Amino acid sequence: MQTTESEVTPGISETAIISSVRAFVRENFLYMMPEFELADDDRLLEKGVVDSMGISEMISFIEAEFGVFAAEEEISEANFGSLRAIARFVASRQRFAVG
Amino acid sequence: MCGIAGIARQSPTGVTVDSLGRMAAAIRHRGPDGYGFYVGQRVGLAHVRLSIIDIEGGAQPLTNEDGQIVVSYNGEIYNHLELRRQLEERGHVFRTHCDTEVLVHGYEEWGADVLHRLNGQFAFAIYDRNRETVFVARDRFGVRPLFYAQRNGDFYFGSEIKAILATGEVDAALDPRGLDEVLTFWSARPPRTPFSGIASLEPGTYGIWKDGALWLRHYYELDYPEASEEPEDVVEQLDEIMLRSVGMRMRADVPVGAYVSGGLDSSITASLAATASPHTLRSFSIAFDDPRFDESVFQREVADAVGSIHEVTSIGSQSIAESFPKVLWHTETPLLRTAPVPMYHLARLTKQSGIKVVLTGEGADELFLGYDLFKEVSVRRFCMRRPESLNRQRLFDRLYPYLSQQGRGGEFWRRFFLEAGQPSDPLFSHLPRFLLSSRIKEFYTPEFRRGLGGMDVIAELRASLPTRFFAWSPLNRAAYLEMTTLLSPYLLSSQGDRMAMAHGVEGRFPFLDHRLFEFAAALPTGSRLRGLREKEILRRWASRVLSPRIKGRGKQSYRAPDAPSFFASGSPEWIGDHLTPDALRRVGIFSPPAVGGLLRRCRAGLATGFRENQAIVGVLSTQLWHHQFIESAHTVAPLPISNASVFLSDGAAVPT
Repeated sequence: MQTTESEVTPGISETAIISSVRAFVRENFLYMMPEFELADDDRLLEKGVVDSMGISEMISFIEAEFGVFAAEEEISEANFGSLRAIARFVASRQRFAVG
Repeated sequence: MCGIAGIARQSPTGVTVDSLGRMAAAIRHRGPDGYGFYVGQRVGLAHVRLSIIDIEGGAQPLTNEDGQIVVSYNGEIYNHLELRRQLEERGHVFRTHCDTEVLVHGYEEWGADVLHRLNGQFAFAIYDRNRETVFVARDRFGVRPLFYAQRNGDFYFGSEIKAILATGEVDAALDPRGLDEVLTFWSARPPRTPFSGIASLEPGTYGIWKDGALWLRHYYELDYPEASEEPEDVVEQLDEIMLRSVGMRMRADVPVGAYVSGGLDSSITASLAATASPHTLRSFSIAFDDPRFDESVFQREVADAVGSIHEVTSIGSQSIAESFPKVLWHTETPLLRTAPVPMYHLARLTKQSGIKVVLTGEGADELFLGYDLFKEVSVRRFCMRRPESLNRQRLFDRLYPYLSQQGRGGEFWRRFFLEAGQPSDPLFSHLPRFLLSSRIKEFYTPEFRRGLGGMDVIAELRASLPTRFFAWSPLNRAAYLEMTTLLSPYLLSSQGDRMAMAHGVEGRFPFLDHRLFEFAAALPTGSRLRGLREKEILRRWASRVLSPRIKGRGKQSYRAPDAPSFFASGSPEWIGDHLTPDALRRVGIFSPPAVGGLLRRCRAGLATGFRENQAIVGVLSTQLWHHQFIESAHTVAPLPISNASVFLSDGAAVPT
C-alpha cells in the first residue's frame, strides 16, 4: 500500500466513513429494498448486499472518495466485509498517510 | 417437424372447424408446408406440417385402415424403418412411407407401450374412436413441446400455448408460482407454466383423456446406475452409438444441415453429418460484434475441417433489442437471458438458405458433464473440506478466469461459491445459480410477494426429488438437476424448439438419443469429468473424427449481451414504455421505485454483474410477456378449410 498525504482526505471519522459508504451502498445495491436495515457490523456478502462485482464497484468508490488504495490481497472479509471493517481500513490508511 | 393442436369434449357437442382453424393459425410458423383437420362430435384435431419425410404422402391428421385411430403428430421417429418392418411382419399394411404411420400402427399393436419402442423426438395426440380416448405423449427428454388445459371437463392441447388461447375458450392469466419458478430456475418446471391452468406435459410422460378426466403416467425416468469401472470396449461402444445416432438423424427427404458453435459437441455432430450426408453439408453459425462472445474463428475452422458450405449471422446489441418482442412471442415465457435471440436469427438464416433440418450439439454437456457447473461442484466440495486453504480456493480462478479478471473482487467472488449451500443439501450443485437468479425477486412489489404466500420453489424442488436421487453421486445429482430444470424446459424450449420452429426449422440432437444417455449415465463419473477436464470419454473417442486442435479446445459458454443490448444509443422506444411507473403499476409484479433504480444504473452503464443483468432482462421480459399474452386479445383468423391438405370428419355433420 502506498499513499501520500496529498492523496488522502485526513480527519474523517469512522462514523462519517460509515455514513458515506452506507449511502453509497443504499444508492447502488439496496435501491430495490429501501426497507432493508443495514447494521454497521452486518456482513455485506453474507447478507446478500453486494456480490463480487458489487465489491469491486464499492472499492472503486472508496478509493475515489477517501483517497486510499487497496491492493488485491487486501480485498478481504477483514477489510471490506462490513461497513465498520471498511471504516477501520480507511481510517487506518488515513492515519498512516497523515502520520 | 410440425405443430399439433386439438380439443376433446366431455359431452359430444362437437369441435368447430373455426376453433381448429384458429388453433392451427396460431402455430402456422411450425408447419408452413400444409395443414389439416379432423373434426368430430367428441374430438377435433389440427395439424400444421413441415414436410421432411414422405413429402407427398405424409399429410396429417392420419388414420389407420378403418379410420378408428386418428393421429396428429409433431416430431421424428428415427427408428421408423425398423419399427415398420416389425409391424409389417405382424400384418399391418402401410399406405405411406411416413414415420407418422408407424405411430398409428404401433399404437394399434402395442397400445401405450409403443412409447418404449420409439427412438425419437415427438409430441402427439391419438384419438382412439373405439375407446373414446385421447392419448397424448411427449418424448423422453422433452425435445418437442406439448401443453394442455382442462376447463369444465373439456381438454385442450397444443404444441404451443398460443394455440390453446386461440380457441377463445381458455383465458390467459398469470400463474404467480410459475413466474416465481422462471425467476429462480430460468423456466417454470413442468408441468407448471407461467400461465394459470395451462400445463406442460412432462418429458417422458403420457396422458390418457377419457370422459373429462386426464390420467398421467411417466413412461421414462432418468437414472444413473453408475459403474465403478469403464467397460473394456467403452470407446467402441460409444463409437457404435454415436454413429448410429447421427446416422438415424440424417434420415430425411430434404437436405440436413448443421449448427456449428465452435465447441467440441457441434464439431462432432457437424463432422459426422458431413460424412453421412449425400450432399455437401451446409453449416450455420452465430457471430457476435462483441469479441467477448464471439467464436467465429473457431467456427470457421470447424467448417473448413468438415468441408461445409458455411454461413454466419452477425449479432449486435441492436438486433437483440429489436427482435426481443418477437422472441418472447415464441418462447411464451419471461426470460432471464437474451441468449435465445441469436438462436432466432440463426434459424432465420438457416431457413432463408433453404435448409429446414439441422443437427446440433445439445445434450452433450449434460450427458458428459461438460458445463463449468459440474467442475464447480467438485471444486466447491474440495474447498469445503479445507475451508482455510487459499490455494484450494484459487481453483476458482482457473475455473472462471473471466470472473477473476473482470473486477477487483479479491476473495469475495470465490466466497460466493463457498457460502451458497452445504454438500449435504441435495440441491448443492445448483444453489449458487438458483440463489443468484432469485435475487430478481427483490424487485417484487410487497403485494405480489404477499400473494405468493411464502411459497419457496427451491424447497418444492427439493421435496420433489425421486428417492433414487439420493443414491447417486454428487455429480450425477447435478446432472439430473441440469437435465430436468434447465435442459428440457429452457435450453430445448426457449433456445431450441421455439427459436427454430419460429422459422420452420427442425433441430435434431444426436446426443439426446436415449441409448447414448443410458450409456453415459452408467459410466463412472471420472470417465466424464476427470479432474477439471470435462467430457473426457467423448474427447478420447472424438480423436477418431476430429483434428487434435478442435478436439482439445476448451469450453466457452454460449452467452449473448444482456443489459447493454437494451440501453445502447438508438435502442427501441418500447423498452422505456414497458418500464414506466405506470406500466409497472398496471402489471403489479415489480416495484416502480426498485425498477427505477435498476434503470438508472443500466443507463449509466453500471449494471455489469449477473445480478442486475438478469434483473433487467427478467423485468423487461415479464412486462413484455404480460403485455403480449395477458393483456392482449388472442384473436387470430382461422386457416380456411378450403386450403387444407387433409380434412377428415367422423361422418356426422361438420360443425362450423
